[in-house]
Amino acid sequence: MQLTNPFKKRVFILLALGLCLQSCYSVRFVSINGDEQPDPLSTRTDYYRDMQVVELDTVITAKATTQDINYLIKESSACKSGRLHTVEVRNTFGAILLSAVTFGRKRKVKIKYVCQLETN
Amino acid sequence: MASTVAHAKSEWDTLHHNGPFPLKTLYITELEGEGNLPDKIARYKDAAAEIQRLIKETQNANQGFRAYGSRWSMNHIASHHDRMHYNGFMNMHIPTFAADMHAQSNFSADNIFFFQCGNTIKRVSEVLSAHGKSLKASGASNGQTIAGCISTGVHGSALDVGSVQDYVVGLNIITGPDPQDIIYLEPASRPALNDAFAAKIATKIVRDDELFRAALVSLGSFGFIHGVVIEAEDRFLLKRYVQKIPKKLALELATSMDFANSNFKIPGEVDTQGKPNRPYHYKVFINPYSNEKDYVVEVMYKKPYTTPYPDPFPLIKESIYRDLIYVFIKIAENFPKSIPWLIKRLRKTILPINDLERIVTGTLPEIFWDAPYQGAAFACSFGVDHKDSAKALKVLTDLTVNEGPIPGIFAMRFVKQSEATMAFTRFPITCMLEIDGVLWKPNRRIMSLNQYGRRMIEELKKHNIPFTLHWGKNADWKFPGLVEHMFPKDNIKSWKKARQALLSDEMQTLFSNHFLADVTLDHNNSGPTSDPTDPSL
Repeated sequence: MQLTNPFKKRVFILLALGLCLQSCYSVRFVSINGDEQPDPLSTRTDYYRDMQVVELDTVITAKATTQDINYLIKESSACKSGRLHTVEVRNTFGAILLSAVTFGRKRKVKIKYVCQLETN
Repeated sequence: MASTVAHAKSEWDTLHHNGPFPLKTLYITELEGEGNLPDKIARYKDAAAEIQRLIKETQNANQGFRAYGSRWSMNHIASHHDRMHYNGFMNMHIPTFAADMHAQSNFSADNIFFFQCGNTIKRVSEVLSAHGKSLKASGASNGQTIAGCISTGVHGSALDVGSVQDYVVGLNIITGPDPQDIIYLEPASRPALNDAFAAKIATKIVRDDELFRAALVSLGSFGFIHGVVIEAEDRFLLKRYVQKIPKKLALELATSMDFANSNFKIPGEVDTQGKPNRPYHYKVFINPYSNEKDYVVEVMYKKPYTTPYPDPFPLIKESIYRDLIYVFIKIAENFPKSIPWLIKRLRKTILPINDLERIVTGTLPEIFWDAPYQGAAFACSFGVDHKDSAKALKVLTDLTVNEGPIPGIFAMRFVKQSEATMAFTRFPITCMLEIDGVLWKPNRRIMSLNQYGRRMIEELKKHNIPFTLHWGKNADWKFPGLVEHMFPKDNIKSWKKARQALLSDEMQTLFSNHFLADVTLDHNNSGPTSDPTDPSL
């Protein structure tokens, strides 16, 4: 289909833009139990105020032999308990596109997570 | 060893941006790992030794010291311009057993729990739930630390229960840097734990009613509250209803607390004679800019714990979209006259929904669950005798409408009298009359929060309504003679005397801050004066 009509072109661009925007969203999974690991030095003013947030923005490459991709949450200074409290997953049009053109081999991961405060 | 990192800082702020306040050093202490020090008492004592080391370090530097937890207080009560200590990682629970109970104790050993200062209400509730127990009451949410709650008098709206400090039965306080400065304090008339247990965590055991009542609501100035012993009760359910009722009826209930003989009936919530049950919790929401004939009220009835019950979370997790609040602030600052219109538009999100079909049943920690951070906020909260509640409401809403508008809505909650010497819940049933809202920047069209706080005090005084103020909320704390107006002279004298009995002169100065000086409760009433850049109210 050739879009020679300027009006149709504009409508097509707007629709494409709309679809791109629609495909950008985030979902937050929050445990009802436990406290978030605090960060008393944090100056954040968003939802994560006072929380120790780990932000991950990377591309994971799957091998041909890989069936599952597990991103491991390990104990660290930012995640002392090694247990998750909150995970926010962000999906973008770019991430979907990357996965599509690489047939799922490259997967863009954009997440924020907060671990549970260690109990004593 | 517990380890502390000292961070050089220039300022510190509350969770809700009520500062910033000046600060030089922030201490953050973390406990020794359980793997290295498995014995709980040993870890707890190790943490106490670390706190004493920090107190000594502060003393040697001739500076002041203040501990804080979740920084939920909305004024400068938790701040110190010298050194502050973050308690949030000090969150041990030390089990107590029947063998630890005092011989004269009337408490059931199953209901006694010992927590380190930095445990949040949420964590405390989780530990209790695991034992089939519950707190008797909490604030409207669960993020405050247990030590922070009692030091500032955090309350809910439990008519016949009281505030958080009212179920505390023992305190472990570090009052200085020396070995004898670790005290276990409980009332002589109601001992809970025996000397053998107390000696494990303290070097001095004090059983004294007057000292204990004074130390309960200490405003953070009786030393470092390291451990808190609480009395829990069997886990129970709360059944929550939200309903619109005529203003007249809502205020009659507020001033009489006589539910049994009222016309307020909820199907199923009646006794065998058909008279309305007395609720566990009663709260009235008031939009001061509305002329509607009804108020929204929230009532909760206490029920035995049984399972299953419907999942309460889908209904209680609803919250306002944060960006909406920012839009609200910006509009309110520039166009104060739009505030009534904005509140009316937002009423469905800032007020609970009036719908008897949406009954929520849950345990106390489920009902009073997380309150996500929602941006800069203020709250002014007055305690008045419930009999004066309607009169006080009229005085304060008239002021807000006539001299405002102010971007917030009022609510009334009701709390049983506290035994704590400086508890603001000092009336037989105290009505906590509160305006909550979004912080604004004052300009020529809208007065400052401090001015508003002052005018509220002036109006209540003018109308001869006795009142107190919530220690953790906004007010004109420098209002002349404020504390003397709020509390009987004997209470103030007893509180100061208790502080002198527990702390040396030097430690009284070390544990004083600008807030204490502002309310003239500091060591000699000639302590630090507020920094001119200090935005405290």
